[in-house]
Amino acid sequence: MSLRIAPFLPELLRSLFNKPVTVKYPFEKEAVPKDFRGTVVFDPAKCIGCNICVNDCPAEAIEIIRVSETEKKFKMLLHNDRCIHCAQCVDSCPTKTYRMDGEFEIAVLDRHQLKIEYK
Amino acid sequence: MEFKVQLGPQHPALHEPISIRMTLDGEVIRDADLRLGYNHRGIEKLAESRTFIQNLYLTERICGICSFSHQTCYTQGVEKLMELVPAKRGLYIRTLVCELERVHSHLLWLGVAGQEAGFESFFMYTWRDREVVMDILDWISGNRVHYSMNTFGGVRRDIDEMQRKKILDTLGLLKQRTDYYLNLAASEPTFVGRLAGVGKLSRQQAIDLCAVGPTLRASGVPMDVRKDDPYAVYAEIPFEVATADSCDVLGRAVVRVKELIQSYNMIEFLLKNLPEGPFKVKAPRKVKPNEVYSRYEAPRGENVHYIKSNGSDKPERLKVRAPTLANYPATIAMLKNGFIADIPLIFAAIDPCICCAERLVQLEDARGGSSRVLSFSQLRAMANERAKNTDFTKREIAWPF
Amino acid sequence: MAILKPILYILVYPGLLFLLVYSTFVEWVDRKLYARMQNRIGPLHTGRAGILQPVADIIKLFAKEDIVPEQADKRMFSALPVFAVAIVCTAALYLPVWHYQAAPSPISFPGDLIVVAYLLTLPTLIFFLAGWHSTNFFSEIGGVRVLTMLFGYEIPLLLALLSPAVLAGSWRLAEIAAFYQGRPLLMPANLLGFLIAVICLQAKLERVPFDIPHAETEIVGGQFTEYSGKKLAFFRLLGDVEMVVGAGLIAAVFLGGFPGGLLPGLAWLVVKTLFIVFLLAALRAATSRIRIDQMIAFSWRWLAPLAVLQLFIVIIIKGSAS
Repeated sequence: MSLRIAPFLPELLRSLFNKPVTVKYPFEKEAVPKDFRGTVVFDPAKCIGCNICVNDCPAEAIEIIRVSETEKKFKMLLHNDRCIHCAQCVDSCPTKTYRMDGEFEIAVLDRHQLKIEYK
Repeated sequence: MEFKVQLGPQHPALHEPISIRMTLDGEVIRDADLRLGYNHRGIEKLAESRTFIQNLYLTERICGICSFSHQTCYTQGVEKLMELVPAKRGLYIRTLVCELERVHSHLLWLGVAGQEAGFESFFMYTWRDREVVMDILDWISGNRVHYSMNTFGGVRRDIDEMQRKKILDTLGLLKQRTDYYLNLAASEPTFVGRLAGVGKLSRQQAIDLCAVGPTLRASGVPMDVRKDDPYAVYAEIPFEVATADSCDVLGRAVVRVKELIQSYNMIEFLLKNLPEGPFKVKAPRKVKPNEVYSRYEAPRGENVHYIKSNGSDKPERLKVRAPTLANYPATIAMLKNGFIADIPLIFAAIDPCICCAERLVQLEDARGGSSRVLSFSQLRAMANERAKNTDFTKREIAWPF
Repeated sequence: MAILKPILYILVYPGLLFLLVYSTFVEWVDRKLYARMQNRIGPLHTGRAGILQPVADIIKLFAKEDIVPEQADKRMFSALPVFAVAIVCTAALYLPVWHYQAAPSPISFPGDLIVVAYLLTLPTLIFFLAGWHSTNFFSEIGGVRVLTMLFGYEIPLLLALLSPAVLAGSWRLAEIAAFYQGRPLLMPANLLGFLIAVICLQAKLERVPFDIPHAETEIVGGQFTEYSGKKLAFFRLLGDVEMVVGAGLIAAVFLGGFPGGLLPGLAWLVVKTLFIVFLLAALRAATSRIRIDQMIAFSWRWLAPLAVLQLFIVIIIKGSAS
């Protein structure tokens, strides 16, 4: 291949009249794919309290708390500030209690606000 | 006039902290030395206290760019320890993600090369088109950077017919753009002038200094783990090992672009020959006592994980050798007798991932066998002690070496 | 009345006020063009379509902490940025705007072309001094590179500027411009010189491919490494004003100046300088930074001989015309 003078110029000038590809992010949002790993969602009705998710979670972000002494009822405390969004809990759970939603704009200034309680 | 300069640990050309100490003669580098250890994260130690499944996501976070290569390397090692045969379809999908990651990493590198050479438009365009492959990865894995696709015995997500079609459709665009960049990078005089003949590493030097990956292959040595020691389904895919004989940064760029084209063909082959069946098999939680050495051809070169198990659900030892570490000796050889202007390019040409390569070593006295370990509080006390005795009002502060 | 005109000339048009406003606008145009060529949007938020972004940047820099290195020569370090801006603004006063045919600019004289070229060289020396007085390794390397580069582009630029002057038979900017307005057919004769001058202006402004003295990935900020706050703001402003004056000089010498009195002249100034800014932006987008040795080799192997060739062409045309 030989050297040419300004081989990039045609492409550059074409772009000048094309629409820019930049997404004006906070004003325009693109849809996330259907299997996006966003925030963990827990369904307390399905939980059997086996604690596999707690053991498998690489970030130790899940706490399963027994609500009543007599019934098999559980609530889940999600430390979303620690969550690494790997979705291992979704895979590990034998009763499909977990799923991931498409929410990704979860940044806040105080990490304690990120705690989510599902009951 | 010779003078000594320290570049880094904070420098615009270095995206991660490393220090290059150089002896300069005007604009020419006469001697160079690398200092590491600014970003040690203790990942190997952390891995010993986590289960094999938790470590899947820890190994993934060794690197942000080649996250999948570390995870796959680890997964393959643990699968060998478990004596587990992964599902065929799972292996195909795993290989597919490997190649997609290589595409994204090499496109990223092309942009970085442009940026280091001051060719900002090239950087903008390659990164714009890199978004295409990032989107593909996002569709099939649910995330752009950490795909988390691997699990012991296969992969965690299947690819459906729609995704398969979508990827095959977008491959055409990627191929066309890559051809364009190959032509562009080889014909723009200012860019070629910056890359050609810079950072020479002869074939013999590359072998002697144990270079890996595109750095080695650009010196004309056709070594590639995918060919030499095939893992996953690489034994079944037709591909060639890309090499170049120019032994310089331009050669490394050419090798990477050739690998991109090979990767597109491989992705096409994998998607067209995707076998039916399950995409994962069930894996045990505990692992028999054993040890394994796992090799993987990451986009940057050969990646090595050593895993030792002791019968529990946690590894006893995980040792990671990232490809960048293997390329450091060659980098020093390349830097010598180069220009200051070439430092960022030569350094970028090995595609350094400094945090991945940071490991802790404990030095032992060769004669006495004694070693010294200091705790954080001891180090702080030492620093305070030293600060107390330093006169900061003195104006003529000498260089520290 | 007689005293009012020079004061207006210095303070309003084409003096300080016009230069400051117009140079930020030109920077915005440059950034926007550069971004659009790279398929980006560019400045977007401040003002309409980001038009106030350069102003906002400068205001922000003025508000920032201003650090002077302990070992630097404090007086020189602080005075240099102001001097540089003042020098370039002075050069702008020689541009033949505002009724120059009837009444030339108050400070115009035969030979002002050389003065403008000289005044535009001074910022380069100031860059060197700024780098040298920073007592920082990166600044010193940057300063030395500034001087090395000066030897590369200055002579081709001067030769390229001289050839239209030789054809016009005058070294006075107003007369050169008037000559080419009268004979627009002679303008293409200087095409080669025009291209050389644009390339040299790019080198003078230290933009890609000639941003070697402050190549970010190599030597951090070059001569500006130690500068911060107000002083850096002055240097940034200098870059913008220098772009306007340089483009104005090339427009006056090669493109026939800015005829037609106050307002049409202003319109011509905007059109012609923006055309040159477009060329500069395209050059910046289409190339990669080169090494200092490659830059010197390029200017002596190509630019200087071509500038001499241009001079020959002009002499032949002049000889055959007379």
